[in-house]
Amino acid sequence: MSPVELGIGLVLVCSLVEGFAQVCLKKSSLQDSAKLTWVGVGIGFFCIEALLYSIALQWLDISVAYPLGALSFLAVGGFSRWLLKESLDARRIAGLGLIVIGCAMVASQG
Amino acid sequence: MSSKNPLHGLTPVLTLFLAIAIVLDTLAQLLWKHAVAGLPDDASLSVTLLAVFSQPWFVVVIALFLIQLWNWLEVLKHADLSFAQPITSISYLTVSLASWWLFGEKLGPLKGAGILLILAGVWLSSGGARNTPAESERCP
Repeated sequence: MSPVELGIGLVLVCSLVEGFAQVCLKKSSLQDSAKLTWVGVGIGFFCIEALLYSIALQWLDISVAYPLGALSFLAVGGFSRWLLKESLDARRIAGLGLIVIGCAMVASQG
Repeated sequence: MSSKNPLHGLTPVLTLFLAIAIVLDTLAQLLWKHAVAGLPDDASLSVTLLAVFSQPWFVVVIALFLIQLWNWLEVLKHADLSFAQPITSISYLTVSLASWWLFGEKLGPLKGAGILLILAGVWLSSGGARNTPAESERCP
């Protein structure tokens, strides 16, 4: 695996971690009783993501790494539907499809 | 929550917090890349970890993210996560343009088109309800 491929793989993992962390923050705004717990868990996941992203940035241009992070929308959409019961209609799913195609194009230029 | 506003309830307060989020995103990403670029090419996990806690630029990045976290919690008070997050995607454009301008990164036609497609996808997916009522009323 080349450094660039490794970097792209790391950004994919970052997107999943980001999606879960965002759901934790939204949970904090929904549950007053466990507010700080959810913020704490969210921050913990953001720290893990930050470390992985720092490693990825050693091998990737920021104009590749950062747009690729848009895959976190896929993770946010999936996790917020699954864990928060937020709605995910056809239009939103089509948008997520465009994001995946766009990310593939950006990744090919890494 | 009713949505009389054509902009799906983008209130002035929410708009302000979202604008702050985009500026902070852009600054943080550029400084982050700048900080990592200062590390040795073959920096190991431990070197990277150490640098995160010792180098001044990383400290600035962490400070920006703490401000961003506070700002983001304000955003989430006013909007669904799946509505608010897409709007901050404008920073994909600002970060990429700034990296081309400041760092001389290549922005070829395929990368440019990919970024625009990502933006289109993000905006398409942001047209839903601003605040899901059932979820807002489900607080324990």
